[in-house]
Amino acid sequence: MKNIVHITVALVISCLVAGVVMGLTFTVTAKAKKHNEHQNVKDTMIALLGYGKANPAPSDLQLHPVYRYIIADGQTQYLGYMVPVRKGAEEAYDLVVLSLQGKFVEEQGLAISPEAAIEPPDREKALRAVLKPPKTFVYADQMVVAKLGDKRLAYLLPGEFPGFKTFISVMLALDPSFRILGLEIMESEEDPGLGGEIKQEYFKHQFTDKKLEKVRKLKVVKEPLPDEYKKYLETRKWKKGMFSKEQIENIRQKYEDSDIYAITGATISSRSVTNGVKGVVKKFAYRANRLDKVIASQHIPVAF
Amino acid sequence: MAATTKTNTQLLIDGILTENPIFRLALSMCPAVGISTTVMNGLLLGIAVLFVQVASSCTISIIKNHIHPRIRIPTYTLTIAMWVTVIDLVLGAYFPVAYKAMGIFVKLIVAFAIITMRLEVFACKNAVSKSFWDGVGMGLGFLFAMVTLGFVRELLGMGTLLGHDILGFRPLLYFALPAAGFIVVGLMMGFFNYADIVYNRMKKG
Repeated sequence: MKNIVHITVALVISCLVAGVVMGLTFTVTAKAKKHNEHQNVKDTMIALLGYGKANPAPSDLQLHPVYRYIIADGQTQYLGYMVPVRKGAEEAYDLVVLSLQGKFVEEQGLAISPEAAIEPPDREKALRAVLKPPKTFVYADQMVVAKLGDKRLAYLLPGEFPGFKTFISVMLALDPSFRILGLEIMESEEDPGLGGEIKQEYFKHQFTDKKLEKVRKLKVVKEPLPDEYKKYLETRKWKKGMFSKEQIENIRQKYEDSDIYAITGATISSRSVTNGVKGVVKKFAYRANRLDKVIASQHIPVAF
Repeated sequence: MAATTKTNTQLLIDGILTENPIFRLALSMCPAVGISTTVMNGLLLGIAVLFVQVASSCTISIIKNHIHPRIRIPTYTLTIAMWVTVIDLVLGAYFPVAYKAMGIFVKLIVAFAIITMRLEVFACKNAVSKSFWDGVGMGLGFLFAMVTLGFVRELLGMGTLLGHDILGFRPLLYFALPAAGFIVVGLMMGFFNYADIVYNRMKKG
């Protein structure tokens, strides 16, 4: 009996101490960690738009996130877009509800600031105030509209799809005509040396400059990557004067309509990424067109 | 086993060479085989293990007189898990660049055999300073082993070192795959044993 008490007390105390230590560390670090994660995503977006250390982003570059929710009201489902709108000088969020057929249903103001909208719990709170039970909603995905001055510059789309072993998460940049501007692999656990090569420039840059019509029927071909194309894709290895402007333009046009050359020994990973990107772009183009139509017909003062 | 009579330097050298966790004790083979595909991966995991090993060894050594002998293992696991969580959080918050590369490895450390084993065999019977040096030695030994494995496998498997192209081609792609990890570990172990025999023979003769 004495032993039981001793063991229980000792274990409870150790657990409490460990809990306090971990809890304290968490409270101290939580804010910095979240900030880092957002910063990481933002840096990737800016890099995809072609800005970096040598070429800093202009000050009038704005990133406006749009969040998509699926709303269920009894048996019927709707799509809810949280869109940033301009109300006077201030920016706020509106909820635009669309039917599954793409018809406008309703529009409601949300009590949430653009800064708070980054956090999922804050978004849910604001939505809950507008969508009263029995309506339910689940988060689907988000897109970010990049705007330079008052022109739409690009769409930035986070995407996730199954790879060879686990999920691959990516970030895609599309221009307003849905041509791919760039692809970045955010997280992946493919085999190093094989599927892991999807992170290499010679693979991910193959997607750059592909137009929507091409992406719709994009395939993976098991052919060796042409030498000049490989050199052209590996921009990080470029030396000064290696390509003239004309040459770059020539190669770009030559391979604009080519399919994706598979990585040697990693056909499955190459196919997963290609099909994943294809899915993300196709679905997005469809949704963005419908949303834009509604925004135009309802005169919603969107910020993008 | 009674308290150790070894000096601090000896403990350090033991951890790195004569009692190397991977090549001599054959512990924590799972990460050794799975993660040592490149020098950088090995280095990062090695550093993370070094931190956790030293912190856990010291903690257990401090509270060793209060641990009920029947519940040693839960206490060890709790201590290791606590330090792993703390390091994971701190890295994520203040070293985002390192965390981006190390993040997935740090969480794995909770289940490493080498750390639990050092706590059981050494830290719970020795003074704090000795445990500290034992932790440092074992951590460095693990780091050394991971980097050596990573070196061989990255060079042979991918023809690169630290991501820089060295050979310009890939001699044996097979070495980048997990199964080849066993082969490299085996060859290294053989080499260590051979070096040990030669060394002893030289000392005698």
